[in-house]
Amino acid sequence: MHTENISLWSLTGYYALFIIPFGMMIWLRIPIIGKTLSAVARMTLQLLFVGFYLQIVFKLNNPWINTLWLAVMVVVADLSIVKGCGLKLRRFIFPLLVALVGGTAIPLLAFVGPLLKRPNLMDAQYVIPIGGMILGNCLRADIIGIRSFYESLKKQENVFFHALSQGARLHEATRPYLRHACQAALLPTVATMATIGLVALPGMMTGVILGGADPMTAIKYQIAIMIAIFTGTAITVILAILISIKSSFTPYGILDPLAFRT
Amino acid sequence: MTETIGTVPAIEINNILVRFQGKVVLNHFSMKLSAGEKVVVTGDSGLGKSTLLRCLLGFVIPNEGEIFVEGQRLTPESVWTLRTLLAYVPQEPELGQGVLEDWFKAPFSFRANAGLKKNFDRLPQLMERFSLSPELLQKEVSTLSGGEKQRAALITALLLQRKIFLLDEPTSALDSRNGKRVLEFLFGIPDASILAVSHDHAFLGLADRVIELSGKGETRAH
Repeated sequence: MHTENISLWSLTGYYALFIIPFGMMIWLRIPIIGKTLSAVARMTLQLLFVGFYLQIVFKLNNPWINTLWLAVMVVVADLSIVKGCGLKLRRFIFPLLVALVGGTAIPLLAFVGPLLKRPNLMDAQYVIPIGGMILGNCLRADIIGIRSFYESLKKQENVFFHALSQGARLHEATRPYLRHACQAALLPTVATMATIGLVALPGMMTGVILGGADPMTAIKYQIAIMIAIFTGTAITVILAILISIKSSFTPYGILDPLAFRT
Repeated sequence: MTETIGTVPAIEINNILVRFQGKVVLNHFSMKLSAGEKVVVTGDSGLGKSTLLRCLLGFVIPNEGEIFVEGQRLTPESVWTLRTLLAYVPQEPELGQGVLEDWFKAPFSFRANAGLKKNFDRLPQLMERFSLSPELLQKEVSTLSGGEKQRAALITALLLQRKIFLLDEPTSALDSRNGKRVLEFLFGIPDASILAVSHDHAFLGLADRVIELSGKGETRAH
């Protein structure tokens, strides 16, 4: 088995399918045509750029270059979280970086090392796609978790104050919000795990099958990646919130408005 | 009035100034609350009465001046210990989510209150005194009435065995019979120091001293 290549002309022709969603938007006057056009252009350029770059990275397969590639992905994810959560860059960039590195590195290294038993832990063929999948999910979970934590705290500020007035230390008073935030961040992955294979064939499994492997191998990869994603998101969310608490409260234990952009 | 000479004041506020978005809310306010004394602060709305209580808990930081609780200056380091000396009953207590019984239990899980767990046995007695039915314990806190929430907050303050009570209109949601019962109980605790904010005339009559806040930062004691 091998993967059938797609010619550039065929792919360009495939863009014609966009006529359907764009036609629907025009017909229903859905005001996201400009945004969608920009997203399609970005998708095309970003993926072309990544494709060219990855060709070089895969050809060289140098552990340092692969690590650098992962580091760039982590920094981009870090900036997206800080922006997506309305946090002050200078205060949060480092704490969230630590959380992302922890959440990505632990399941990734366990995947490539003890599970796949690859002699080179930073083998491009494995660390880049698997690292990317874990990181992408960590990014989504962090945004959900951090936003949920600070939004519920702001919404229930008086409940939080009451806990402080009853003698709670900061970690005790923030515990209910941490619990709520972790639950919100983990639930999408829990729901995915519960329905995986029934509702849709997941991305990694599809990729492995397209790559020429038999379905049983693909399933084993999919199970492993789900474990990696769930573990990674749990690590990153709890680390992100716990580390960010130090930057977002005043020494009196009050949420510091200067920690947020809005 | 309680004899206080020679003892450390429960609360001492020295010349605090609080500004919110350029507007002066408390203007160089000073007062002392002696140990065991019951003081009511009154005055029109918007004169910073609630802010005063929030300053004592470190929820609002004065731009100028200093605050002492039982002789200890309120600082970022001391605030965590000083809060354990205070019982705060807000005007409209927000209890969050969950059933009332769990809400009563929650503060006893904090390390600072670990030694007070036995006080939880007093809950049925206090609920009866404050006319709260035991069936309420299994009720979702968000469904409680304002008066029930206020009494629940007062009961927790008593269970935590604090010596200094900061009460922000604690009877505003209670009917006159329940309000009177609550006030007589609180003001009858001999060693409790009470700093209350209220318009309630029943309250003013029970106080050792009434401080009237005026808009210019002046105070009149009665």
